[in-house]
Amino acid sequence: MLRKMIEIRRFEERVERLFLQEGTLIGPSHLYLGQEAVAAGAISALNDDDLIVSTYRGHGHAIARGVPLNPLMAELFGKATGTCKGLGGSMHVSIFPEKGILYASAIVGSGVPIAAGVGLALQQAGKRQVAMTFFGDGATNTGAFHEGMNLAAVWKLPVVFVCENNLYAMSTRADKAIATESVADRAEAYRMRAMAADGNDVVAVFLSAEEAIENARKGEGPTLLECITYKLKGHGVYDKAEYRPKEEVEEWRKRDPIDTFEAKLLKMKLTAQADIDRIEKEVAASVEESVTFAKSSPILPFEELSNFVYAR
Amino acid sequence: MPELTYAEALRQALREEMLRDPRVILMGEEIGVFEGVYKVTRGLLKEFGPERVRDTPISEAAIAGAAVGAALAGLKPVAEIMYMDFVTICLDQIATNAAKMRFMSGGKLKVPFVLRTQYSLGRMHGAQHSQFYPSIFFQVPGLKVVLPSTPHDAKGLLKASIREDNPVVFVESGALYRTKGPVPEEEYLLPLGQCDIKRKGDDLTIVAVSRVVGEALTAAAKLEEQGVSAEVIDPRTIQPLDKNTIVESVKKTGRLIIASDDVKSGGIGSEISAIVVEEAFDSLDAPILRVASADMPIPFSPPLEQAYMPNAQKIMEAAKKLIG
Amino acid sequence: MFRVAMPRLDPGMQSGKIVEWLKKEGDRVEKDVPIVRIEGEKTTFEVNSPGAGVVRKLLFEPGTDVQVGQTIALVGEPNETLPVETGAPAAPEPAVAQQVTVAPAGPRIQEPSASPVARKMAREAGIDISKIKGSGPGGRIVREDVQKAIDQMRSQPQAVGFSAQAARAVPIARTIKLAGKRKATAERLSYGFHTTVPVTITMEARMDTMLGHRKELHNKTGEEISITAYVVKAAAKALEDHQMINSSLEGDELRLYSDINVAVAINTPDGLVAPIIPQTNKRSILEISRGIRDLTERAIQNKLAVTDLTGGTFTVTNLGGFGVDLFAPIINPPQCAILGFGRTSEKPVIIEKQVQVASITTLSLVFDHRIVDGVPAAQYLQRVKELLEDPKKLE
Repeated sequence: MLRKMIEIRRFEERVERLFLQEGTLIGPSHLYLGQEAVAAGAISALNDDDLIVSTYRGHGHAIARGVPLNPLMAELFGKATGTCKGLGGSMHVSIFPEKGILYASAIVGSGVPIAAGVGLALQQAGKRQVAMTFFGDGATNTGAFHEGMNLAAVWKLPVVFVCENNLYAMSTRADKAIATESVADRAEAYRMRAMAADGNDVVAVFLSAEEAIENARKGEGPTLLECITYKLKGHGVYDKAEYRPKEEVEEWRKRDPIDTFEAKLLKMKLTAQADIDRIEKEVAASVEESVTFAKSSPILPFEELSNFVYAR
Repeated sequence: MPELTYAEALRQALREEMLRDPRVILMGEEIGVFEGVYKVTRGLLKEFGPERVRDTPISEAAIAGAAVGAALAGLKPVAEIMYMDFVTICLDQIATNAAKMRFMSGGKLKVPFVLRTQYSLGRMHGAQHSQFYPSIFFQVPGLKVVLPSTPHDAKGLLKASIREDNPVVFVESGALYRTKGPVPEEEYLLPLGQCDIKRKGDDLTIVAVSRVVGEALTAAAKLEEQGVSAEVIDPRTIQPLDKNTIVESVKKTGRLIIASDDVKSGGIGSEISAIVVEEAFDSLDAPILRVASADMPIPFSPPLEQAYMPNAQKIMEAAKKLIG
Repeated sequence: MFRVAMPRLDPGMQSGKIVEWLKKEGDRVEKDVPIVRIEGEKTTFEVNSPGAGVVRKLLFEPGTDVQVGQTIALVGEPNETLPVETGAPAAPEPAVAQQVTVAPAGPRIQEPSASPVARKMAREAGIDISKIKGSGPGGRIVREDVQKAIDQMRSQPQAVGFSAQAARAVPIARTIKLAGKRKATAERLSYGFHTTVPVTITMEARMDTMLGHRKELHNKTGEEISITAYVVKAAAKALEDHQMINSSLEGDELRLYSDINVAVAINTPDGLVAPIIPQTNKRSILEISRGIRDLTERAIQNKLAVTDLTGGTFTVTNLGGFGVDLFAPIINPPQCAILGFGRTSEKPVIIEKQVQVASITTLSLVFDHRIVDGVPAAQYLQRVKELLEDPKKLE
């Protein structure tokens, strides 16, 4: 899981540089920096045949699930070798059905009812598969969220609803937008099981997710898993997040999920610094390789685009 | 050949497809226990059980969204939105998500589901329970939009829509549910994206959809008595539209009327009109006329609603304007 | 507030250029005092102030082209608020120009209301659609109306003097459907006949010298040189000084061509064709003769190319070989004129009060009076005759 977190962190850092320093990439992009433990922890608890509905802040989900970096980076560059052949962009880059990530929507909250539908199909299939979906604190205020949660609860669908509560929906503080005390409290409205975990502690996330997944597999219905975490940077890549108080940012920096996990592993002698260094080196190389790959890839010719409107 | 009602024809289509393919499931409000507000799903809950015929809460976004998700994950859901007016509640799921998913994913995703809905224009349901506006979907390519006008067409088109690999918005006409028509006993499918020439003629082309097809045929019969031979074309699918059949017909007759229940401005007629001017300009012997609903919300009072809607009389008046 | 607007000086004027402001903003002016100099299509003139007041605003810089009718200056009292300029040309309250009175706007050409298919049919049949009466709504000309006009155009005209009864009683031996070249010829000539205003003038030309020249050329080259070649060369050379005739009228646009391409009417079993000798005036008589022979052969074998049949600016036609003395051919549309000549035959002529024998051919020039008048046409024909009678001038 450490490796996954490091991969996410370095990939996102590289992407940020491509946007801000190098000016190579343009457009909206929502980085996963700071939230690595949620994706790495939750997704690691899934089986290979479980399914995921991601979001526009999905680079982390994709990497945690093992989507290769090359097509991810190529999609950000809008190239034909990208996960969506360059037609989707950053907000849909995690769509990778080959690894079970069925969709990523740019509309806040719209993935929730879709995830319920995925759960419905899995329930029908009867193979004890589970659907997992991610969304932020802001999404829990949308109509689609409520409708999807309610339906999942009423039909006891095998879905784990993971809320990545990073305390801010863009610049709107969660405590100003959410009527309940916490996101987890919302589950009560649907009589759905709720769990909460420290979103910056990858092991805690993993254990909670594992429990929620197991419940779903047993047919005991959905769980709302609230993971409290924090974004290192703003909502989108250009957002400087000056609306966040400096002390708060500092406070959370001290709780960096990667740093704390590395420290724990080193202390418990489950890993050595040399291993960590080796991982960093390999990750750096594969991230750089993905940039080279992306830069040298072609773009789809426009004439081919109309082939993608309908399935034939 | 047996005569079935439009509703019964739809019911048979659903049932046959559910028997044929276990992946087909139904979801919607009141479709199970109540057997559907228009009885289209009568008996299906009993036959297929609650796993496959699912009554939902009043959650259009969830109904449409869950249908999308289930389709992504391998099922073939047929979701019902009780009134076309409610489609706007779940427009995000249909227009922003479903229509675009294949394209946005570079062709990786397939979303094979049918969204059945109906419009009740003509039944005094008032402004918020009568709207017919399939033309909004012209703006989000990626969906197929199907409009059956007879029991025969309804069955064949619904079966074909369920077997489609693309999201289909299937718009039924509430006013037609109780109308009867011949429906073959053997299995048949009707192709999507192809016009049906319901009546051949030489002097005038009338393109009509859904409920108005009947009105157009009535008008055509009356015009025949006056020596005017009208060709009536039912596109059946407006997206993708079989424009060739329409263009060839106009090249033959030189005159075109487009008749539909949607509001005139920005309706189906506007799009077809533009296509025909572009592709058959030199064949036009007269301007193109649209016979459609008035540019206003639907009035409740029955005679006012009738005055608001298109009918055979209005089609004939348009024909007179063209021919003189 | 008085508006000074760009005046229209002639019906075709669309815009005028501001040459120089004669007053500046703030100057006080009386009525009819010139405030600006404008350049129109052909002349410059001054525009006067329409009233007394202070020049409040000059709206354009010198050198700017302004549409007719648009306001170019405002004259009023200092305390009046300036009106908002919409940019669309103001309703003309034109200042009175000093030298030229403002002419009213040119006549609006009324296009008849006609459906697209009707226009297309009329265009292809060569019918002037404005001559057709419309039976559609609002008097619109529709397909049916054009079809009727086409049918009428093609029906046989009644023979003069015969009663209709007699014509209907005539039995038909054979019906040939008009098609191919015959049909094309029929349509083209009909169109030409209906659109041009043909006038015929004739002159007799003495061909003796030309015949002698021809014999010499024959002896020199061993080739048969046709009389037609001489006439074609003469016609071409004469066009060099009469460009007006080397032209065509398209709508209201008269096109004077820089190349002279004379077409020669050739009779083939399938019908009449008129292929061209490109740059006829630049070719020698020998070349032209060879060219005519080649074209004739290819015409009979149906091997003429599109380039042979297009680009003609004038036509020469000859029926002399069939014993015709004089005839008035139909102008080959869209050309301006056609020169026909008949057979060369010996005739008595009076030279210095003595009767002598000379070889005479009659030249008939049919020209389109819309383009050219009788006098210049006669001058042209005179030149042709001159060149034919003295072929040395043709070299």
